[in-house]
Amino acid sequence: MQSHPPADTTVQPRSSTRGQEQILTIALAKGRLTEQTLSWLERAGLSMPVDDAGRKLVLASADGALRYVMAKPADVPIYVEYGAADLGVCGLDVLREGGRSVYEPLLLPFGHCRLSLAGPADRPDVPLRYDSQPRVATAFPRLTAEFFRTRGINAEIIALKGSVELGPLVGLADLIVDLVDTGNTLRANGLVELRVIMQSQAVLIANRASYRLKSPAVQHAIRSLRAAIDQRQSEIVSP
Amino acid sequence: MALEQSQDNLKRTHLPHGVADYFWAEARERRLLEVKLLDLFRSWGYGDVIPPMFEYAATYHARAGSELESETYRFLDRDGSTLALRADMTIPVARLVATRLHDWPMPQRFCYAGSVFRYTEPQAGVQREFAQAGVELIGSHSPHADAEVMALTARALQTAGIRHFQLVLGQMRFFNGLLEALDLAPDRARALQHAIDRNSHADLLEFLRSAPLLDVHRRAVEEFPLLSGPDVDSVARRAERVCLNPAMRAALANLRKVAERLDSYGEAGRLYVDLTEIHNLGYYTGVTFEALTPEIGFAVASGGRYDNLVATFGANQPAVGAALASERLLLARRRSSQANGAARPVAPSALFASAPSAETTRMAMQVVEQWRALGLSVAVDVDDLSPAALCEQAAKIGARFFVRWTGEGADVTDLAQPDSAPRFVPASRIHQLATEILNAIPSAR
Repeated sequence: MQSHPPADTTVQPRSSTRGQEQILTIALAKGRLTEQTLSWLERAGLSMPVDDAGRKLVLASADGALRYVMAKPADVPIYVEYGAADLGVCGLDVLREGGRSVYEPLLLPFGHCRLSLAGPADRPDVPLRYDSQPRVATAFPRLTAEFFRTRGINAEIIALKGSVELGPLVGLADLIVDLVDTGNTLRANGLVELRVIMQSQAVLIANRASYRLKSPAVQHAIRSLRAAIDQRQSEIVSP
Repeated sequence: MALEQSQDNLKRTHLPHGVADYFWAEARERRLLEVKLLDLFRSWGYGDVIPPMFEYAATYHARAGSELESETYRFLDRDGSTLALRADMTIPVARLVATRLHDWPMPQRFCYAGSVFRYTEPQAGVQREFAQAGVELIGSHSPHADAEVMALTARALQTAGIRHFQLVLGQMRFFNGLLEALDLAPDRARALQHAIDRNSHADLLEFLRSAPLLDVHRRAVEEFPLLSGPDVDSVARRAERVCLNPAMRAALANLRKVAERLDSYGEAGRLYVDLTEIHNLGYYTGVTFEALTPEIGFAVASGGRYDNLVATFGANQPAVGAALASERLLLARRRSSQANGAARPVAPSALFASAPSAETTRMAMQVVEQWRALGLSVAVDVDDLSPAALCEQAAKIGARFFVRWTGEGADVTDLAQPDSAPRFVPASRIHQLATEILNAIPSAR
């Protein structure tokens, strides 16, 4: 999963003599991942955004080397694919759901959760493939469709934007596919986890062109983040 | 190349979007429902028709301008002609009557049940291949024909076990009359239809703003979205106040006659009159109707009058028809009974095995044949498994009884009794045993 970028030997990082094209734009997911993303960027020694009131969507870093774009999580891969941002941090879940063509050079050690299929707690304990055309509510229609298709089940996918746990409660759906962290939300709504569809965590993504055109700055960001992760790893292993 | 092959391997086991496997109870229920519906239709004098699964695409283009044209599955025949999968049953029946049965006494009544194919997003039990059962009544202009088809639709829904439903009755000719009076350009007419069909306040205001109308016309347009309600008299009276020409008045008179006739079938209580129901303009030419149930947010049956369709294939004949979405009916019934979504297997009433000797097996088979003739479903062991293994298998597949023929009689295990030991029934009492099993499984018949 973790693909190491090729070592860049031809171009040295020139952080002191930044050209205009070397300003990096990083797309950040607003919400669940924001806080941890910022704290890891800080740990990696990357210049932090200066935020006045928390309303601006484009923020410059303190030293002017970076620009941060605050986006809806599912939009982060889109900004990066089109090059509106050079780098981005989002969850593997939205990345796989979007199917965008971006590089994924580094997994980040936070935002762990799983995309799971859940159903009513009183559901009889029978294999899914015995179900005929289950109705499945989800904010991840693509991954959900693929999950059922590979099992030869023709599910009716009902794409919602959020609060999919409501589906079975109001008779909209038989099953749901949603992100699960602790499982408390499921339990509170009388649902149980039936299958884990994928494990998710935060991931650093990069635009394919920026990866080469802004190689020094991009590689510097990746290396710094990896170093911060390695350091944290060694702290945990030998405190 | 290797990648391509693995794609093919995946496709071998996956299903394309829009089709589904039906098995076990679901498949059985659908077949039983179709049999019951066809029996009902026949009892009203409707004759069977089985149209081909595909025809020339040009045949389906007869319904040009309707959504159906873009939803048709098309493919090429070996000679290069374009074919289309059956997208509804009405068009083939209209073609049949116009081209081959035009000199048979009218009206002609036909009923059908089978799959149709449409390129749409699957929703609420309707896939891209879905089952329809329905009727066509061809060759009568009378509002009594419309009422008959509606009443039969209501009976069919009851036969399918749907207790709560409403019949929404519309009349295209009323809106067509309005269009005639307003004398609009085609795009303006479409805008008005769209606004009224979607019951869109915003679109209607936009329509009124974009071009001035005479006051009396304007009032008719403004009142139009309000012309619906459960009482045909009150809707018709309100509608009469905005009538602009004889066509609109004739449409209302026709609507009253249909409702009156429907009352004599005892179905007036289910009626909801809605003159804004103009969705299939261009195909339906008169009365239209839809059946709605609380269990499903979509219509479970729909129909109407299509007086122009038969003429596209030859002799002109007025016609009215209705189609029920079989899978939606079953879905609605399941939901109203609060049944769980998981599929239920269809188990035989009994799993039958015989001690392995040619002589006893012959007797055993005679017994099984008798039981089957009585209406029991009996599966016979073909693997010479041990009694213990068979008993376990019978329990797993949900059979009620395991019967093992020994030659002098049968060891019978009732699997509904927990930990029950087999009991011996002598050959002389084997016929009573069948009756006992039949009584234990009322659904066996």
